[in-house]
Amino acid sequence: MHNEQENQTQRWWAAMLRDPHWWVPVIVLVAGLIMLQWIR
Amino acid sequence: MATAAIPALETSRLKKLQALGMMCGFAAGAWLGAAEAPTKLVRAGLSPVLISLLMVVGVFLARWGVPALARGTSQVYADAQQAPHLIVWAVLAGCLWAVANTLTIFAIRDIGLSIAFPLWNMNSLLGIFWGVLFFHELRGAGRRRWLGVLGGAALMFAGALLLAVASPTQAPPGRALQGVLAALGAGVLWGTMYIPYRKAYLTGMNPLSFVAFFSVGELGMMTVLALRSAGGPVLLWQQLAGARPVLFWLAAGGFIWVIGDLFQQYAAKYAGLSRGIPLSNTNQLWGLLWGMLVFGELRGRGVSLYALVIGGSVMVAAGAAAIAFSSATPGEHERWQAAATRESKLYGTDIEYVRAGLEGRALERGTRRTVLDWALLAIATLVFAVLAAMARAPMVALNTGAAIALLVSIVAILAVCGTALWRMTRFS
Repeated sequence: MHNEQENQTQRWWAAMLRDPHWWVPVIVLVAGLIMLQWIR
Repeated sequence: MATAAIPALETSRLKKLQALGMMCGFAAGAWLGAAEAPTKLVRAGLSPVLISLLMVVGVFLARWGVPALARGTSQVYADAQQAPHLIVWAVLAGCLWAVANTLTIFAIRDIGLSIAFPLWNMNSLLGIFWGVLFFHELRGAGRRRWLGVLGGAALMFAGALLLAVASPTQAPPGRALQGVLAALGAGVLWGTMYIPYRKAYLTGMNPLSFVAFFSVGELGMMTVLALRSAGGPVLLWQQLAGARPVLFWLAAGGFIWVIGDLFQQYAAKYAGLSRGIPLSNTNQLWGLLWGMLVFGELRGRGVSLYALVIGGSVMVAAGAAAIAFSSATPGEHERWQAAATRESKLYGTDIEYVRAGLEGRALERGTRRTVLDWALLAIATLVFAVLAAMARAPMVALNTGAAIALLVSIVAILAVCGTALWRMTRFS
């Protein structure tokens, strides 16, 4: 049961890494934080 | 593991859901616009970041209280089990919101609301772009619908520009470049935040579940930003303690905002980003109505200013109408379903769960409340009651009759739209 859950979690992480949409919000968030630091 | 395509969905049902989504977009505009009203009651010299944090506290309580009341948190848990990856997307969206909101505060400080608002309002244009690029929206929609959506969004943007010029808040010049970049940055962050929204709803997640996880990212990021801004937890606590008399009004603003945001989520789910987001941007019209009628903001100003306001309002309304009449065709719906199948295949989400979400029905029936639900409701009510007991009556002159009339209007919109949502989707 525990192994099955672990495998499932690994599958989801692998799917997330394959997801081509990830980079857009992540890059935009990092850029936003940098901008915030600069604007203060 | 589901790999099959989604079986064809009933066209008449999809049409009704699309109309419901459009209706939710307009309702979102009304409630998001009204959320500004309680914050206008606060005249104390609070830091903008603190104001934002306090609103987010109200938002957090509402975002866990409303799902507990409407469906029970067991449904939130069931959603999380079906598509756990969406928790990460929701938290990410919450972080994007918090950073964008803080950037708007600096933008207003540097260039004033009149220039900043239309700049960050371009988020709906970016929302359309991501909708087309990533989620097959407007594909196979035909020239007339493309023109309706893009022309409508452009008209709303131009109208927003006119309304913003008429806005009474101005800031001293000096840091124009930073201000413009902050406003544009906020627009890009908010526009990008719609990617997680659409991803969640194509996968079939319930908006009430999504916003609950979203608020974790929102409150977490906002707390970090407020701690940095205040200079540490002790100083932040001192600021909070000093703001006791106005805490209730800010939290109430957050609560009203959540209702608008929930409608926006349903609009994004059932009408898509390209229609739902521009429609909810009618909030500027409602914000202006509250400002003019309740707080007397434009009283005694010139005729040319009223011409700007009327012209801008007509343009925003015409743009919204153009979008509302450009509903998705069955061909476009097929493209949406193809995008949903892609998401389902990638993450191995149960195809029946995805289909149920697209059709606006819950896979699991029954909304039995648990002890946790009642505890969440009790905590949210208690916090609001304590804040209300500490609140000081506002010292701002306002037109009570107009405030009551606007309140009655938005409550009527809530009742009509909420009933339609319940009847058609059981808040799915």
